[in-house]
Parts: sequence; C-alpha cells; structure tokens
Amino acid sequence: MKWIREIWQSIVRRDPLSTDKGKSELVFLNVWLHIHPAKVKKENLRFKYSFYLGFITFFLFLILLTTGIALMCYYRPYPPAAYQDMKDLQFAVFMGSFLRNMHRWAAHAMVVCVFLHMCRVFYTGSYKKPRQFNWVVGVMLLLLTLGLSFTGYLLPWDQLAYWAITVGTNIGSYAPLVGGQLRELLLGGHAVGEAALLRFYVLHVAVLPSLVILLTIVHFWRVRKDGGLSRPIWKLKPQKTEALVTIGAPAAVAPLQVTAASKDKTYGLMEVVTGKPIFETVTPEEEKDTVFSYPYAFVREAVALMATVTSIMAISLFFNAPLEEMANPAVTPNPAKAPWYFLGLQELVSHSALLGGVVVPALMVVALILIPYIDRNPSRRPRERKWAIWLFTFFVVANIILIIVGTFFRGPGWAWVPPWVHVVARPE
Amino acid sequence: MAALCSAVGVSLGAVVRFLVPSVFYGPPQSFKIGNPGDFPYGPPTFLADEKIFVFRDRERGFAVASAVCTHLGCTVAYFQNDRDFHCPCHGSVFSPTGAVLHGPAPRPLNWFEITLTRDGQLRVDKDKTVPPTYRLMV
Ligand code: HEM
Ligand code: FES
Repeated sequence: MKWIREIWQSIVRRDPLSTDKGKSELVFLNVWLHIHPAKVKKENLRFKYSFYLGFITFFLFLILLTTGIALMCYYRPYPPAAYQDMKDLQFAVFMGSFLRNMHRWAAHAMVVCVFLHMCRVFYTGSYKKPRQFNWVVGVMLLLLTLGLSFTGYLLPWDQLAYWAITVGTNIGSYAPLVGGQLRELLLGGHAVGEAALLRFYVLHVAVLPSLVILLTIVHFWRVRKDGGLSRPIWKLKPQKTEALVTIGAPAAVAPLQVTAASKDKTYGLMEVVTGKPIFETVTPEEEKDTVFSYPYAFVREAVALMATVTSIMAISLFFNAPLEEMANPAVTPNPAKAPWYFLGLQELVSHSALLGGVVVPALMVVALILIPYIDRNPSRRPRERKWAIWLFTFFVVANIILIIVGTFFRGPGWAWVPPWVHVVARPE
Repeated sequence: MAALCSAVGVSLGAVVRFLVPSVFYGPPQSFKIGNPGDFPYGPPTFLADEKIFVFRDRERGFAVASAVCTHLGCTVAYFQNDRDFHCPCHGSVFSPTGAVLHGPAPRPLNWFEITLTRDGQLRVDKDKTVPPTYRLMV
C-alpha cells in the first residue's frame, strides 16, 4: 500500500487536502488549476452575481471542441460528399446523430450564453477600470463565436446552408471598396461552391477555434490578474468605491489604502521588479471574507460543468439538428432564412443592404468595443449609471425584437406573416 | 524595426495573394443553350443550372434575363399571373422588364446578350449585359 501512496504523492506533490497548506498547494502546484487564486472572495462565488455564464460559455466551447473532433472523423469537406456524410452521421454512424445534435445545440447555446454573459458584465459595470481591455477581448470572442457559427452553417451543404451563406456573403460585398474582393477571398470563387466549402471548413475547424483558444487564455489570465471577478454591487462599500478594483493593476490606480503591514498579510512582486514594490494589502476583515478555492469554487464550477453537459445531452436526445435537401443552386427555398441569431440582421438587410447589412452592424460593433472608453463614469452602481443602462437595454431589446420579427413574422417573399396565419404557396 | 515591418508586410501581402485563387473553376460565363426551336412562345423558360430566363416572343424574338436577384443573389421566380419576378429572400419584385417594383433590390435584373452561333444554336454570354430592349430575331 505504501508504494501506491508514493506513486500518488509523486503525481500530486502536495500536502493532504485536510490542511490549509494542501488546499493552497492543490491550486498553485497544478498547471490547470493555478489560473485560480488559492483563496477567493466568498461573495464573488454567488450564483446570482455572475450566473456562471462565462464558465458555461467556456464549457459549451469544450463540448463543441470534443464533439467537433468526433464529427471530423466522418466528414469530407467537398460536395456532394459533405451532404452524404451528414446523412451517414444521421442514419448509419453509431451515435452519429447524437453527436451532431450535441454539436449543433451547444453551438446555439454558446451564442445565447456569450450574449447573456456580455449583458451580465455590462449591467454589473464590470468593464470599468481596470477591466476595459478585457471587455474588448470579450467582444472579439463574441465575434469569433458568431464567425464559428456562420462558417459551421455551410458545412452540412444542404439548402439551408447554401442559401444562408449565399445571402450572408453577398451582404459583405456591399461593403465599400473592398467588399467584392473580400467576398471572393472568403469564397475562393465568384459563388458559393466547392472552394467556398473547403475554405469555410478550414476556418471552422482550424483558424477560428485556435483564435478562440488563444483569446480565451488571455481573457482568463486578465480576469485573474484583475483580482478575479469585480465585487458584487451589494458588496461595494459606499466611501471606498475606487479602492476596490485595483488588485494587480499597478499603473495609475487610485491610491490603495495601505494599513500597517504588521497585522496584515501582504502579497507582492518582490525582487523581480526594480523600484517601488507593488503591494496589495488585505485587511483582516477582508481575509475573513475569503474561502479556499478548493472546494468552494471548484465544486461550483464542477456543478456548472455537469449542468451544462447534461442539459445539452438531454436536448440532443429529444431534438434532432435540422438537415434539409441537398444544396441546389437553382432553387431558392422560400423564405430563405439565415440562422436565428442573424435574423435581426436579415430583417435590417431586407430594408437596405448597405445600411442594414454593413453600416449599422459595423457601427454597433465599434460602439460595443468602445463602451469602456466612452463610459467614463467610474460608478458601478445602477442608480448612478441610468443613462448607460437605458441605452444598452434599448439596443439589446431592439436586437431581440428584430430577431423575433425575422424568425416568426416573416413568411414567403419576406412578407409580413404572423405565426398564427397559415400561408398557402402561390402558384407560379 | 523598418526591416522587420517590411518583412512582415511583404509576408502578409504574399499570404493574401496566395489566398486569391489564380484560376476559378466555376461554370463558364458563355455557353450554348440549344436550338431556337427548343423554346416555346409565351412564358419564359427557366434554365436552372445557368440561372437565366429565356424569353421568346412571336414578334420580337429572343431575350435572356438573369434569375439572380440584384439584392443578395437569391434566385427569383417568375409568376405568370402578374408577369413579375419575385425574390423569395427579402421580397424584391421586378417588373417584366426587370425594373425594381419594390423591395430592397438596388438595381434592375440583368439582361444578357444572346446570339446565334454558326451551327444555328443559341449562345448566351453572361459577361455581356444588354439593355432590356435587346432582342435577337431568328
Ligand atoms: C468565448 C466567449 C467567452 C468566454 C468563454 C468567456 C469566459 C469568461 C469567464 C469564465 C469569466 C469569469 C467568470 C464569469 O463571469 O462567469 C469571464 C469574465 C469576464 N468576461 Fe468573458 N467570456 C467570453 C466572452 C466575453 C464577452 C463577449 C465579453 C464582453 C463583451 C466578456 C467580458 C468579460 C469581462 C469584462 C469579464 C470580467 C467580469 C468581472 O470581473 O466581473 N467576455 N469571461
Ligand atoms: S436576395 Fe432578393 S430580395 Fe434579397
């Protein structure tokens, strides 16, 4: 028995978890876990503060990576094999349709969760100093998530895929000057065809996931370096709002309140930097407010992981990912609709391609990126940032309404058809 | 620094050029569509692979309209009862001459040149657009 313990010890190399030292060592001796601090602030673990949406988004991405790699074993990225492989996955491959369903529903869920996560970050004012740039990294991740959905959408090579991508890439060609060339670059030709499928495949399985992984690493690293999540609003102390969001951000922050070092614990960067050491002091009452990451944070994250995986599995058991007829360039389905999260865009495009498809979305993205630099109000309290909240809510609601209109109120020929009206096809 | 920047710049340029296809393997832009006798008078014939409508009129002869919506590239359908073209994607409607009646389409439908080859077949050239009044008498 001793030798088993020795082998185990050679792997984990830490004190028993019953000790505080062991609990800390579990975190900082482990390459995967050390992105966490050894101790976290109790209130920041509350579900009602972050809803764990960032984690859930990340877990959905993990599901997409694993199921995606599985699907790659059966997918050939050229027509008409691509479509036949979809049929194979659905009817012949063991668990093929289940894996395809998981991949599809996790992709939809990721779009929803990344959006909700962004809303959470906005409404809690967590993009404010020193977290401005992490918001920008977040917007990049949002765009990459949409890019992954868009490129993935073509891969089944069915009617839905073909026409959504035809319309989608034509929107891009309205961009002034370079639009047309950009479209050709993306498609590798004048129209959606073999070359386009291959390019979308390369983007979908190699380029975009790598970028998401890289930016996710940066995103997490910065969350950690900013001292973990921002403090829940209800924990903000009235007089010291400034001092609360300063950990690990050495440059130009409001002066830290440094209490006499003797009775406090201090963590610092010593010997590696010359000049004045950067200290973060923790007062005894703040110390009381923290708990060890093991088990408190890890258990919660594990619960979020399991809830995410089981929900996606459950949905995949009962709902099949759609697959229409094989792509047919000659026949446009009526109505031809983009994936739901692009239907707001399609609704705008139905009024004007240049304005609705290029100008408005480009301005929205730029505005989104610039939010932390435009909103210079230092307060994170909802009461003190009414304008920002109203404005953001207006755009969120407008977007949701457009998506609902595009999804449920548009029938053949993009005519206004409420969902309770049944349309009979018009004879040609 | 300047050397590094120019090296990066040149490499990026090369990458972009690499991604621009030198040869396009798309369908040909100019092709034969058959003998004049193959086409009936009256409503236009839709050629699905080429995405064109071939009109044949007793007095005025042949004309070819593009079936590609000028908005975002969906394939329009011809409706016999109002003799208009309807786009299924965002609802653009084009008149029998291809003019935009309503919807988001920015330009009228294209009309393509149609000619007679020496062996008596009809030939369409999608690289040559013509006014909607263009007709080939056979
Ligand atoms: C692939 C997409 C993304 C993943 C996987 C991701 C993941 C995470 C995680 C795990 C956290 C920490 C905990 C939590 O809030 O649940 C976090 C925090 C944060 N995220 Fe994201 N995120 C993504 C996209 C975004 C987007 C779109 C934005 C904003 C535009 C954003 C901005 C932020 C900010 C500013 C924080 C710090 C929040 C705070 O300190 O309270 N992230 N993200
Ligand atoms: S593609 Fe025809 S109306 Fe948009």
